[in-house]
Formats: sequence, structure tokens, C-alpha cells
Amino acid sequence: MKSFVCIKYVPDTSEAEVKVNSDGKTVDDSKFSYDINDADNYAVEESVLIKEDKGGEVDVVSIGPKQSEVMIRMALAKGCDRATRIEDERIANHDPLMVARVLAGAIKDQEFDLVFTGCWAEDDGHMSTGVALAEELGVNHASMVKKVEVLDGKVRAHRELEGGLIEVVELELPAVLTIQTGINEPRYAPIRGIRQAQKKELNVLNLDDLGVDPSEVNLDASGVILESLYIPEIESAAEFIEGEPEEKAEKLASILVKGGLV
Amino acid sequence: MSIENQTFTEKYDLLGCIQCGRCTGGCPVTVRAELNVRHFVDQAYDEGKLDELARLAEIWDCTACHTCAVRCPKGLKPLEVLIGLRSMIVESGKVEPTVRDALQSVLLEGNPWEKARAARTDWMEGLDVKVAEEGQEVENLIFTCCTIAYDPRVQVVAKNMVKLLNQAGIDYAFLPEDESCCGSEVFTIGEEGLFEMLVEDNTEYLNNFNAGRIVTLSPHCYTTYKTHFPDIRIPLYHYTQLLDELVQEGSLSWKGELQKKIVYHDPCYLGKQGGIYDEPRRLLKSIPGVELLEFDRRRERSLCCEGGGGKMWIESQSTEERLADTRIKDARELGADIVAAACPFCVLTLEDAMKGLGYEEEMRVAEITELLGELIEA
Repeated sequence: MKSFVCIKYVPDTSEAEVKVNSDGKTVDDSKFSYDINDADNYAVEESVLIKEDKGGEVDVVSIGPKQSEVMIRMALAKGCDRATRIEDERIANHDPLMVARVLAGAIKDQEFDLVFTGCWAEDDGHMSTGVALAEELGVNHASMVKKVEVLDGKVRAHRELEGGLIEVVELELPAVLTIQTGINEPRYAPIRGIRQAQKKELNVLNLDDLGVDPSEVNLDASGVILESLYIPEIESAAEFIEGEPEEKAEKLASILVKGGLV
Repeated sequence: MSIENQTFTEKYDLLGCIQCGRCTGGCPVTVRAELNVRHFVDQAYDEGKLDELARLAEIWDCTACHTCAVRCPKGLKPLEVLIGLRSMIVESGKVEPTVRDALQSVLLEGNPWEKARAARTDWMEGLDVKVAEEGQEVENLIFTCCTIAYDPRVQVVAKNMVKLLNQAGIDYAFLPEDESCCGSEVFTIGEEGLFEMLVEDNTEYLNNFNAGRIVTLSPHCYTTYKTHFPDIRIPLYHYTQLLDELVQEGSLSWKGELQKKIVYHDPCYLGKQGGIYDEPRRLLKSIPGVELLEFDRRRERSLCCEGGGGKMWIESQSTEERLADTRIKDARELGADIVAAACPFCVLTLEDAMKGLGYEEEMRVAEITELLGELIEA
């Protein structure tokens, strides 16, 4: 079983206040901490669990700055075998299709059975890169995967749909699976493991090394134009329902029905 | 199994144990958990059993209060056997997600609270605070601590220290945002590799400052540096020592009074492990109007609040009464208005217990600096 797992280095915006810079198109990241995208962490774990069960190898692919190498080393410490970090300023990073093309450039000339990605990235939330990657690679895909069963030449993927439904699909290999959080419990990468992982191969490549034509993945190629960023206004309203319990229940029920909530 | 050429038995001197039972006899968590540390010391010399022992849930019940080490007549540290077993689990990567995230946060951001390093000194905003620069000479270099730097409940410790030190007019400076975790909890969780890295990095970092002494705000940092960082060249103090000194020499005095009964809770890391019992008591007694009460279980017999040993990230499976609840009930029985502590973890656990018990109206849990800070503003 030969797998790839694509991971992204993202800011944790849960604690720091998000402020838009004066250019209106970027955010002030000076107070952010960065780490592996949550869903990608589960994708790494799933790829390693399958490797531990079925044998084979896992390659990590990531587009990101030098600082992201600590995240890549952690993935290697958890059991991935080698990694490619792609760094090139020409990539239109805000467009998932452009990102998928670059990732495909790192994968397409090699043999593989499965490609894992997280189902979405916490920073831009597009939920499209994995699916676009499957298209670029010309292989099957299943998104929002909560359970993976590897069969002979196929994979059975349990997809989480709206309303809590689970759809079970079988895909011919090779295939791309975008992994939903909660599929497993990602392990910890101890420092000694990270140090040992320093011996594993980590190649840093740019578009030229990958043989990807910059004019196909740059701002001009992208159909997505980032016009501006803004913080949505927070609106809230609270209504206190007065009266006896029965009266309150009746009023509440009426509000819920009117609002289409029941 | 061997750890860096030493066997487990050699590393923890297991054959030195005479199975006298002083460790289990004093262990505070035995009243609420299955943990029997003597059993682990007895069994761990059989290396074939280590994996099985490491998988037992009770190894995570130890709070690293060090009562067993204080009581051991052979000078052993039975708790470290449990830490050794924990480290086997950590090395396998299969730790609780909360522990995993705390450890990873120490590596990436220098604190176990999953907060950005860039926000470490945000608590200083709006304060007249001096910040240290490498090479600059300073008499008192203040080490803030991750919990005090980030937790909104205990940031008051650092904020009030600034006021107290400004008031005393002494030469001091707080470490800047590149201050990193002391590793107290990393050590007790058993992440040996990460702890070794912190020892190396923090020793080099702190030695680069031209300081007369390092003053820690948390007893966890104080004891960890004292015990595990032999190459720090600058003398280490806990803030209660510094403030006690300032009060004794008349550089700090209190405006107004506090007509309250205060019971002092000895934090394990300050008392049992740091040997500091009198300074916090003298500080509290220096406040006009204060009547200082004493718990029956005080000083080296102090009851652990269960905040140490990585327990901030590991929930015990026990459903028995928490030790912090016992402590608060004891304080209420004594008639205390205030339970004072000199440790951020103790304040957080004791205050949670007090609120959980519904005693908020009648009692208060306070860090000593909180009380003193109020008295210089009066």
C-alpha cells in the first residue's frame, strides 16, 4: 500500500483576535500560533494506521514555509516515511484548484494507492482541495470520510453526510480520501521520535523542480480573485419570555414554529 | 528494557527499596484512587512486567506531590517510578489527547496551554513594567510561568508583582515573551526527551541574562529549576522569599488592614519540594488585622490539591471526593474567610472546589500576591 498524505500549516485563530491589515486582503498574523491543520492531523494518523495494518509507505506532501518543517517532522515521527515541502511564491495559495494542481504535480508521476487529505482547512475553509486534487490526478475520491476499510484493489469509505447520515461507498484504487476529524485519535509525536525522524528524507522543492508550469498555478491562472477581507458584524438578540411555565412553553413553541426551527 | 544504558531498576534504584510502606502510608491520593506506589516499586524491577504496569490507569493518578519521596527512609523517589512508566506510554505516542496537545504546545509555543508565544506578555499591557534585555544588568530577574502568563484567573499574580516591585523601588525586570515553560509538568507527565530539551534550552537562555537572581512566581518553576537544572548559574528564589525580604527590611508596607481569618495552604512544590514554609506565613502575618489559621495537615504534611503531576490535563477515573474539596471543607470548618496559597495551580483547583461546594458567598481563595496587591492600593 503506497500512500500520500497532504498536510497544511495553518494559524490557530481560536485564541487570537483576527485583524485585517490595512491592505484589506491579508490578516495580521503576529499573534497567531501555527500548527498542522486539524483534519490533516487525522489524515496523517489514518495513513499511518493503514500502513501499520497493511504495510507499505507513506509520503508527506505540503506547501508551506520553512517554519512548517516542525509539523512535517512530527508526521515523520508518527510513522510517515519521507516528505516533500513545496515552497514557491508564484503559487496562488488562496485558490484550492491552484493548490491542488501543485500537489498533483508532486504526486502524479509516482505510483500510489491512496492519497489522504484533511476534509477542510481551518484557515480558508474551502473544503475543495482534496476533491480538486482527485480531479487533477484523474482518480476516484470520497470526501468527509469517517471510516476506511482497505479491500483487495478497492477501498470502502464511510462518508459523513448532512443530518448525521453515513454513506458507504466503494472506490477502485487509486483514490483520494478527504478525512473528517474524529475518524481516529491522532497519536503524540515524542521529541525522541522527532529527533530520529531527522534522518528521514525531506525534500524542499519549487515549481521548476516539480515540473509544474507556473503560468498554470499563479495569480493569472486563478479564477478566484481575492477582493477584500472583512470581519463580519456580530449581531445578537435575546428575548426573555415572561409568564407562568405553561405560558412560557406556549410562547416558546410559537417562536420556534414561526422561526421554522421545529 | 534499558533507558540510555541504564536499566529501569538502576535508574530508579529499585533495589534500594525496603518495602517499609512509608510511601503508600503518606500518599494523599490513596484515599480516592487505586494507586499503590509501593506495589509499583516492588513490581517494576521485573522488566518483563513493565509494559503491563505502564498500561495501568492508576499511574496517571499520581500528582507528583512528593510526599512519598519526603517520607522514604532510603531517600528514594517512588513517584519517579510512575513517571518512568508514564514515559513508556508517552514514547509510544498513545497518550490522552489533552496530554498530547499540552506537550505539543510546549514544543511549538513554549507553554502547555495551547496559547501563542506572541501573546505571552499580553498581560503586561497598560502596566508600568520593566522587561529584561539580554546582557543588561538586573538584580531581580522575574520568571513569570506559563499558567500565570496566560490564565486570566491567575494573571493577577504577575500584575500585582509589578505593582509590589514598583512600590518597593527595587531593581527588577520580567523576562520577555521568549521565556519558555520550565517543564515541571512535562517532567511529571514523562516526556523525557522534551524535558531534556527544555533543560538544555532554558539553561542557556537564562544564563545569558546578567542577573543577580532569578525570582519565579510559581513554585513549580522554582522547584523544577532547583532540582533539575544544575547548570543555571544564577541563584533561584521564589517570590515569597523576595517579598518577605522586602517586608522585613521595610521596603514594603501595607496601607489599611484586612480583618480576616486566613488559612495558608502549603503548595507541595513550595513546601515539601522547595522547603519554603515560613516566608509565606510571615508575609500573611505582616498584614495588619490578619489572623493566621493553620490546617491540621500543614507544612510537609500538607494535603495536595491534585493540580500537579500533569493532572491539569489528566482526569482521574475516581469518583471519590477530590482532595481540593476536602481541603476547602477543612478550611470552612476552621472558620477561615480566606484560603491563601502561593501557587497558581493550587489557586485554580481550590477555587474550583470552593465554587463547586457552593461556598462562594462565605469564603475566598486567594493567591498571596492578590491580597498584598490590594493593600498597596488601599
